[in-house]
Amino acid sequence: MSNANVGNVYDHIIQEVINAVRVDFEENGVDDGVLEELKKGWQHKLSQMNVASFPWDPKPEPPPPAPPAHTPAPATLPSQHQQQPQQQQQHQQAASYTQATLSPQTSAQPLSLPGNLHSNGNGIAIKSEPGLQKLEPVIKQEPGVGMQGQAGIPPPYNPGNGARQIAAQRAAQALESNYGPRAAASISAIQNNIQQAPRQGQQPLQQQQQQQQQQQHMQQQYRQGVINGMQQRMQQHGVPQGVPQNPPNGLPAAQVDGPSDAYDGVLMKRGVEMGRVEIDNLIHAQIASRAKQMEGGGLMLPLKEATKTRSIAKAKPVDGATQFDGPDDSMKDEDLDDDAINSDLDDSDDNNDDDEEDDEGSGQMMLCMYDKVQRVKNKWKCTLKDGVLTVNGREYVFHKATGEYEW
Amino acid sequence: MATSSTSFYDLYRHGSLGMSLTDALDDLIGAERIDPQLAMKVLTQFDRIVAESLSDKVKARLTFKGSLDTYRFCDEVWTFLIKNVTFKMDNGQTTVVADKVKIVSCSAKRSDEK
Repeated sequence: MSNANVGNVYDHIIQEVINAVRVDFEENGVDDGVLEELKKGWQHKLSQMNVASFPWDPKPEPPPPAPPAHTPAPATLPSQHQQQPQQQQQHQQAASYTQATLSPQTSAQPLSLPGNLHSNGNGIAIKSEPGLQKLEPVIKQEPGVGMQGQAGIPPPYNPGNGARQIAAQRAAQALESNYGPRAAASISAIQNNIQQAPRQGQQPLQQQQQQQQQQQHMQQQYRQGVINGMQQRMQQHGVPQGVPQNPPNGLPAAQVDGPSDAYDGVLMKRGVEMGRVEIDNLIHAQIASRAKQMEGGGLMLPLKEATKTRSIAKAKPVDGATQFDGPDDSMKDEDLDDDAINSDLDDSDDNNDDDEEDDEGSGQMMLCMYDKVQRVKNKWKCTLKDGVLTVNGREYVFHKATGEYEW
Repeated sequence: MATSSTSFYDLYRHGSLGMSLTDALDDLIGAERIDPQLAMKVLTQFDRIVAESLSDKVKARLTFKGSLDTYRFCDEVWTFLIKNVTFKMDNGQTTVVADKVKIVSCSAKRSDEK
């Protein structure tokens, strides 16, 4: 049986069907040529499937049927006088068909692509802007970068840092007391800022920061000296004159730093005299500007890193920020789906199962009748008949088949 | 005869022979050479002729073994997904192995009775 037989059987079936429907074609007033065309089309398509060798296929060729689909049928195979013109017809048809179908596609692509881009662009612009800004402080927080930056640089003894922390803490407290939970995001931003601040001075990439770095080095040295002196002096004199309000906070150090502080000089220069609101505003401004700086840097990151940091940021449970992130993400997902038509037919839930199963069986399929299907425990036995089997790209027909399999 | 033409399964339309016929018919319909109704008539004829030809013209026998992955019996149709199948045909002379095969099988009795 098997493969050799298939061609003959199929040829027989085709002949039978064509003969059987000839009456119907005549009744419908359809020309006989159309019927012939149907037959040729059918045979041609069957050959393209390459499931068996068919009598109407060029015999001499070792891989018999399919290839003519791609070669535009030059004057090959003189044995095929009858079929050659027809095949050529076929090919012409196929060619015009593909052209007809392809050209709309290609012309449609430029049309549709901008549309997609537009929608994407809009979507991104709407969605990512808040996300980016929110995320920036978090990105900066990433410890690895900072540590690397610090590695090559003399030990970051930074007395100003303490004061900065305190100032930021106070700012955060003020925010919290003024705005309550709503301020959570900005507070966390401030805290990030504290952690990040000592590092940022050392990021070598940006000129400003390089300058700051140098300055900070000098400051550090200077501060060390000054502070040593100050401590002695404080021990001697008690509270320095300029800072009556703040001694318990340790801000005297900040005041000492004041004049030399170039980095967060804004705060430090006047820090003592400023009210909390003013400090808050200043910190906000600083954070915003830094976020802008980082935005430039962030955009120039390799895509992988950018997404990495972003996903890290997503994972972080920052109260306000995640709330914004959540809807964003879902929106994006939905938007992807929105590119398709939003109909029930697109509903993945129902279709997935069927598709999967179809995929599982596709190409490897047996269509048949069953006489008996029996099962004893997990052992199945079935008797099948009149089947067509497609396996490994070949097709087989059988009159009877018995199968045994275990579940 | 009208009933007899509907009593054949259209399951073979999903095989390569049926698919190529459907494609060819679609092309003709798309070119407005034939009506869809006429195409349906062709397909019903096809259902009948395939079933008859398979039972009359084909004598080959086939045995196969494998492990059954999923089975389903719905509307008198058995569907099996069998993995690691070994087909033996030509009295065991030819062996074909496939990692999975889907079997769709309609009842032979029903079509015989009608």
